[in-house]
Amino acid sequence: MLEELLIFTRGGLILWSSCRALGAAALKGSPIDALIRSCLLEERSGDASFSQDNYALKWTFHNDLGLVFVAVYQKILHLLYVDDLLAAVRREFAQIYDPKRTAYDQDFTDIFRQLHLEAEARAEEMKKSKQALSSRPLPPAASHKTDPKARGDSRPNAAKKKKKGKDDSDDGDYTAKEALPNGNGTFKAQDSVLVLPKQGKENGGPNDNGAFDVSKLQRLRKNDRKNNTGAADNGAKKLTTKPDTKKKGKQDRVWDDKPSNKKLDFTDPADERGDEVTDHVAVNQGESMMDKDDNLSSDSEEDEQEVEDGPPKKKGWFSSMFQSIAGNNVLDKSDLQPALKALKDRLMTKNVAEEIAEKLCESVAASLEGKKLGSFTRISSTVQTAMEEALLRILTPRRSIDILRDVNAAKERGRPYVIVFVGVNGVGKSTNLAKVAYWLLQHNLSVTLAACDTFRSGAVEQLRTHARRLQIPIFEKGYEKDPAVVAREAIQEASRNKSDVVLVDTAGRMQMATVELCPNAPSIVSTVETGFHDSSLTILHKLFVEQKLADLSAVPTARLIDGILLTKFDTIDDKVGAALSMVYISGAPVMFVGCGQSYTDLKKLNVKSIVKTLLK
Amino acid sequence: MDEWIRQAESWVGQAEGWIRQQPPEQIYVAAAVVAITILLLITVSCLKSSKPNTIVLSGLSGGGKTTLFYQLRDGSAHQGTVTSMEENNDTFVLHSEQEKKGKVKPVHIVDVPGHARLKPKLDEVLPKAAGVVFVVDAQDFLSSMQAAAEYLYDILTKATVVKKKVPVLIFCNKTDKVTAHSKEFIKKQLEKEINKLRESRTAISSADISDEVQLGVPGESFNFSQCLNRVTVAEGAGSTGNVSAVEEFIREHVKA
Repeated sequence: MLEELLIFTRGGLILWSSCRALGAAALKGSPIDALIRSCLLEERSGDASFSQDNYALKWTFHNDLGLVFVAVYQKILHLLYVDDLLAAVRREFAQIYDPKRTAYDQDFTDIFRQLHLEAEARAEEMKKSKQALSSRPLPPAASHKTDPKARGDSRPNAAKKKKKGKDDSDDGDYTAKEALPNGNGTFKAQDSVLVLPKQGKENGGPNDNGAFDVSKLQRLRKNDRKNNTGAADNGAKKLTTKPDTKKKGKQDRVWDDKPSNKKLDFTDPADERGDEVTDHVAVNQGESMMDKDDNLSSDSEEDEQEVEDGPPKKKGWFSSMFQSIAGNNVLDKSDLQPALKALKDRLMTKNVAEEIAEKLCESVAASLEGKKLGSFTRISSTVQTAMEEALLRILTPRRSIDILRDVNAAKERGRPYVIVFVGVNGVGKSTNLAKVAYWLLQHNLSVTLAACDTFRSGAVEQLRTHARRLQIPIFEKGYEKDPAVVAREAIQEASRNKSDVVLVDTAGRMQMATVELCPNAPSIVSTVETGFHDSSLTILHKLFVEQKLADLSAVPTARLIDGILLTKFDTIDDKVGAALSMVYISGAPVMFVGCGQSYTDLKKLNVKSIVKTLLK
Repeated sequence: MDEWIRQAESWVGQAEGWIRQQPPEQIYVAAAVVAITILLLITVSCLKSSKPNTIVLSGLSGGGKTTLFYQLRDGSAHQGTVTSMEENNDTFVLHSEQEKKGKVKPVHIVDVPGHARLKPKLDEVLPKAAGVVFVVDAQDFLSSMQAAAEYLYDILTKATVVKKKVPVLIFCNKTDKVTAHSKEFIKKQLEKEINKLRESRTAISSADISDEVQLGVPGESFNFSQCLNRVTVAEGAGSTGNVSAVEEFIREHVKA
């Protein structure tokens, strides 16, 4: 049952609300605000739907008038007529809309009621015809129908049977089990509460129209359970397997049965009080580039001429020119496609991941469809401006990334501010960690390093060298120790020594356990290499998509990434697409950009210049 | 090329001859009319630009700016609002003054979305502002204190705001709710937060990006009276219509 249909302007004023007009109950929470904040403003408006709590939301835009139409319904139901209804509502409302008016109750409510009934009727007919088409004796499971009035009754019954309510195949299968004993053709719905003699309804329609077997049900149930506990299991598994391998210890490899007795490994297990003279760098290498202003003028040097149109439009050059001058051209999907495809290709040449470029283009298309072009504007330039705005929106951080302020806030609370660096092997975590330490030192903060990379040979020595050069304390426990324990102890030590910041280095093997270590909320920075991003994308995807599942089941305090550090920025020319992909997937802002091998090579991300480079 | 030049010269000669043939008064009148029109255009454009009459409603997301906008315009918040994705831009006569006799000058009010991702929109509008209303949610203040202070700090340190001495009104909204804080409390907290911000930002070396102007007096803790432009604090409630403080502010700074 449709909970609510809301019509509002892009500026935020609600024009019509079906809840209010029809007197139904108001929505719990504010799913609409959540939709706007996490989906529409994040340039995911090309997605099919959005879900929050128990609600699923679908939306459509009328870009010319600047209106948004949102339909909210229970997630467990799968209403097929929503898209249809939204399109019809959009059509009707556009006819009665007047920018000066703000109350549409009397006019629109009746229209809406009628449209609603029509849409439902249409959906039922479609289902009936689909049912008639498939010749097999349908199990009563998949094709139930009911009158909209009775749907309200069937819902509590359906709700009783659902375990979690998320998997719709489960729903269909459960009610199938119930209904089977009643025979094939006509049968009563779950209880005889339903008024209609027709078949009881279950909205799990879309999935299986074919035969149903109990084994499939059991398989699905197993999968469901596995999925939910999979993420938690992985985390637990990693924790349990690691100490196992560590206990065995590393033996020297022996080839050809010849025992080699030469001692080759001179690593001292404990702290090395070296006599080596290493130059004490401290703050003498000049200003870190973090504090330098990137004074790039953001004027638009690009002419209209420089924008290529891509493959020739179908309408022909002359007619499109004429229409652009006349200015009454209404944009529709086929017009946008060539321009969007050209933009997408351009983004991909700049190393943006393909699916992200695709999603971005869909989002821009959704926001431009139906818009009227002004006179003397070409389609390609409109698309270009829209894309530029979208990119600017994505790259602008959602919250402020003033690290110094956060450090000061933590200082007041009497605790050190912890930054954990995670990332795939070889992206440059340790190097950039040292750069960040240098920058923090320049601002008169006391820094401690924590060597929690207990896996890679030489990692601890590397950090030790940096610590000696910068003259800051380092907390280390050698190799083959549990990094979570090392980190915890490092933080305790740092708070004892009144250190302001603790920088934690981790191994490249995505140790999720380390990530979840501290209750005092460290800041997690994911280090990503700008040039090569495929594996990093999957890792980030794992961290966000699958971590979210873990959120729901086991760990209530599972952490997500707070910031991104892009490394090796100086090696990529203009292929800056990885920055965009990372920000889009994770929603985290880019805090630092590493652009060289020395201590001062750490910059802030200049959003405007990145956008310009991406669209050049 | 030479041919063209010769042709042009001949045309010029013809035009001169024609002009000389006209009676001299006509020429003077024509020249005078042209001169006067140009002068008029220049003065009108000068006058218009010297008195901006735009009021900017800014503040964090969820503070009540769009509700306030519609209260000012129509006297009611209609059916409610959602998070704005675009700005609301309109020139109108304030609703409370629509019944006043005589000519009332319309005001141009821009309601800028508060969402962090749409921050650049604020930068576009600020240069034309005659006054800025910073809307603060008095009910939910403590959780958003830091973000609000940062937003306000950004506004107060913009070069255009300081140079033109744009007045700022900190409007504590939602005071009709029981758990709303008082405006004195909010003012003190904001001053404290901005002070902290000032310190952390000035600790950065001299070539810092965001600060265009230094706020306050170094060595003293920050106070709104130290700003070059006037900063006042008021309270009210957008949803019930208690917006008289804002209207006074508008009337004060937009010449009627």
